[in-house]
Amino acid sequence: MERNLEKTMDNVTNVEGVIGCILADRQGLCLGAKGSASGQSAGLIAAIADEVAKLEPESNAPIIALESDNRQCIIQRQGPIVGAIYKAISP
Amino acid sequence: MLPKPLQRRQWAAGMSDGDAANERTRLLVNPVSNTPNIPTAHSDDYVNPYANPVPKKTDEQSALNRILQETAANVIDVGALDSHNLEQHEYMDRSKAYAKRIEVIGVQIPDHPPCLLKDIPAPERVLAGEGLPQQDREMVTDMMNSAVTALSEIQVEHKEDLVVPFLS
Repeated sequence: MERNLEKTMDNVTNVEGVIGCILADRQGLCLGAKGSASGQSAGLIAAIADEVAKLEPESNAPIIALESDNRQCIIQRQGPIVGAIYKAISP
Repeated sequence: MLPKPLQRRQWAAGMSDGDAANERTRLLVNPVSNTPNIPTAHSDDYVNPYANPVPKKTDEQSALNRILQETAANVIDVGALDSHNLEQHEYMDRSKAYAKRIEVIGVQIPDHPPCLLKDIPAPERVLAGEGLPQQDREMVTDMMNSAVTALSEIQVEHKEDLVVPFLS
């Protein structure tokens, strides 16, 4: 059933530096979260992807990178899915 | 420029002195010294343009100042009413006093929810920094591609019978 979705997230979470990932649909419903990603952030991530895409409606879906001092959140929307990858960054 | 009648009188006075009258000769004869007017006329001429306008200017200035003061007296400047500088402790005192008042009344001031994003002091440094590494872009794009594929492949798996024998 959703085995492939789980596998996709596992593959990403196993990459070095990645501490979590989350997948949501365009309305912000959480499809799955791994690692330190919280399912509660699905709505926020979908909303951010939605808003940023409005900046340049003619362009392809943008890749959004939010950064704090020690973490990075990379967001992208593709078709019906919005995904985010959390990475730890060394200062 | 002198008025015309004066000029004529001046010309007549100049003639009586036996000097060539011109625009520089004095209008009135100096009562103290009866010496010919030409040298004093010259020196006066030198002084006059500067000496005369100065009192005129101060007159004008004082008149303007008077108008300004009168206007200021008739105007209530709301913005300037509370313009004296507040010291730091005055701010603290006021904020305490206001907080007490609010407590007494029991009004709830709505809290602003914390913002997800916040301003950074030097944005140009971040904006001019390097973009997302190619590796990260590929990683997120790959994840999304396989996620879209995986989502489209989701289907119900048949594991056990939908109809089960009941009270067999």
